[in-house]
Amino acid sequence: MRLDLFNTTAFRMSVGYTLLVTLAVGVTLGSAYLLTESLITDEVDLIIDTELQSLEEKYARSGVPGVTDEINLRIDSWGRIGAVYMLADSTFERLAGNVTNWPFDGMPAERWPEFEIATIEPGRRAVHPVRAAVRTLPGGDLLLVGTDISQGRRFADKFRFATLWGIGLSTLAAALAGFWFSFRLARRVGEVTETCQRIMAGDIGRRLPVAGANDEFDALAVAVNQVLDRLEHQAGTLRATFDSTAHDLRAPLHRLRTRMDALLLRAPPLEPAVHESIESALREVDRLQRTLATLLQIALAESGAPLAEPAAVDMGELTAELVELFEPVALAQGLTLTLPGNAAGVVQGNRQLLAQLITNLIENGLKYVPAGGRIDVDVRRTADGVQLVVSDNGPGIAAEDRARAVQPFLRIGAGLAHEGSGLGLSLVAAIARLHRGRLELQSNQPGLRVLVDLPG
Amino acid sequence: MHVLLIEDDLEAARFLVKGLRESGYSVDHAADGRDGLFRATEGQFELIVTDRMLPHIDGLAIIELIRAKGIGTPVLVLSALGSVDDRIRGLKAGGDDYLTKPFAFAELLARMEALARRRSGAPHATRLKVEDLEFDLLARRVTRGGREVELTARELKLLEFLMRRAGQVVTRTMLLEGVWDLHFDPQSNLIDVHISRLRQAIDRGADHPLIHTVRGSGYVLRSDS
Repeated sequence: MRLDLFNTTAFRMSVGYTLLVTLAVGVTLGSAYLLTESLITDEVDLIIDTELQSLEEKYARSGVPGVTDEINLRIDSWGRIGAVYMLADSTFERLAGNVTNWPFDGMPAERWPEFEIATIEPGRRAVHPVRAAVRTLPGGDLLLVGTDISQGRRFADKFRFATLWGIGLSTLAAALAGFWFSFRLARRVGEVTETCQRIMAGDIGRRLPVAGANDEFDALAVAVNQVLDRLEHQAGTLRATFDSTAHDLRAPLHRLRTRMDALLLRAPPLEPAVHESIESALREVDRLQRTLATLLQIALAESGAPLAEPAAVDMGELTAELVELFEPVALAQGLTLTLPGNAAGVVQGNRQLLAQLITNLIENGLKYVPAGGRIDVDVRRTADGVQLVVSDNGPGIAAEDRARAVQPFLRIGAGLAHEGSGLGLSLVAAIARLHRGRLELQSNQPGLRVLVDLPG
Repeated sequence: MHVLLIEDDLEAARFLVKGLRESGYSVDHAADGRDGLFRATEGQFELIVTDRMLPHIDGLAIIELIRAKGIGTPVLVLSALGSVDDRIRGLKAGGDDYLTKPFAFAELLARMEALARRRSGAPHATRLKVEDLEFDLLARRVTRGGREVELTARELKLLEFLMRRAGQVVTRTMLLEGVWDLHFDPQSNLIDVHISRLRQAIDRGADHPLIHTVRGSGYVLRSDS
């Protein structure tokens, strides 16, 4: 299985982390921006307020001429930079100040109205934003005091620009870091997954890589490798046990058989009745031997030892050969054995074991399907290998028994009573597993359908 | 015929030696690997039958050692290890046939006979002939008494196997291995059914049959005269 980076926990975590960083940086810089902006405005407003107050006092003391003088004085001499003054009568006609026309359409509604003044500066025409306040003097005249806020605006613009870039860059940095982090994490987890899959496929000598970083991944790898060492050792012990068990069980069976054979061959010949019962005992010995062989084969396949020297086996050809082999037997039993579709599909495996798998499935049908029935053996190509489908219209296996039917050793008790019938499917399952394949039993409505998927 | 039997199971060996002598073989018995290797190297045998697991020197090692010395005597391996891999290893080591214990004595006899006669056969023959049964191997045509016999490809292979061993007993397992390349025992009476079909084709209408059943062993194709 290939690891999809976008579907990993690490990736989802890093996306969340990026969002969190963006939010935190956004809130911090955003509030700093808003605070600074209001601070600048507040300062401007305070200056305007103060000037208005002092000009109002001047008006109270010396009327319009006094204010006019004061305004002219402030404009000409020590007035602050960017100061804007205007004294107008109630019809908005200018009486004094450095603004030629009343900048508003009547009385402004806001407390701090803003407007723009166009000025001619050396070489260019400039537009200056102005923030102002207007008071109506007791005589009905209007007093306007303002401040050029272009500098503050520029500062605020720069601040906003910096804030947006700051948020953008930190989001990018967090996203990059998160992507790198999740990529690294996904790769290391992917290595573990891949190694485990290879081991499952039979490469039992393989171990997880230890990066030497002494981190939690290395600790995990070391622990898993220890488990694998133990398992491999046990598999080896198991194999040795099989060999000696096989030997220890077969040797006495062999002696028994040899003795009985010798009885049959001896001269003068035995009485026919004795001869007959010895022959029937011999058949029992052979059946016992066959069951033993099947059990050992299942156990060996289940032990996880990989296939020795797998070779290319054409399942289509092999199935066709076996169907041809069994066809006359089926015919003699009044059964129809057919090969409806037969695709050439190559599987890496052991020809003898795969032949045994197909044989067991056909024999299973021959054993259970009553005369007049049919057994169809089909080989199909799938996206990643070959599918063998053996279906019949016999009694089938009840849904609740299907899982048990393919589990080795579970049916032995019941199976032996039926001449080892349960072992046939168990061996099929074991051989399929040995080839990294899968066995599935279905209802053929009516009957049994066995599907064996083998990777190519 | 002079045979060497290397077998450490003394009781089994006793019966085998007795049975083989009664069947007309002259038998030498070695009870362990070292003795077996010594005798196989020194003696003149037409056939060696060896157990696989032996004290001192393993059966497969004996085969490799005598093959390395240029001794080409056919070897039949007897083994209590019966998995597919074990069989492949046995044949790779230089064994000529592999029989898993327990086996029927008749099976052993048939295989020994086949091995002993193998070298005397003519593998490059283009025509096989038993009495009035003729098999043109190149044209894949079979006639019985001049009359053409229709056979499937597999039946031709089965008949060829029997005719090449005319006069020898051929067991069901030997047929499964030799004709179908199957090295396990299906439970059905497969071979009997196929032989009976072949017999129908070959012997029907003829005044006497060529394919005979040997009780407890297998089949033999031979003329009765």
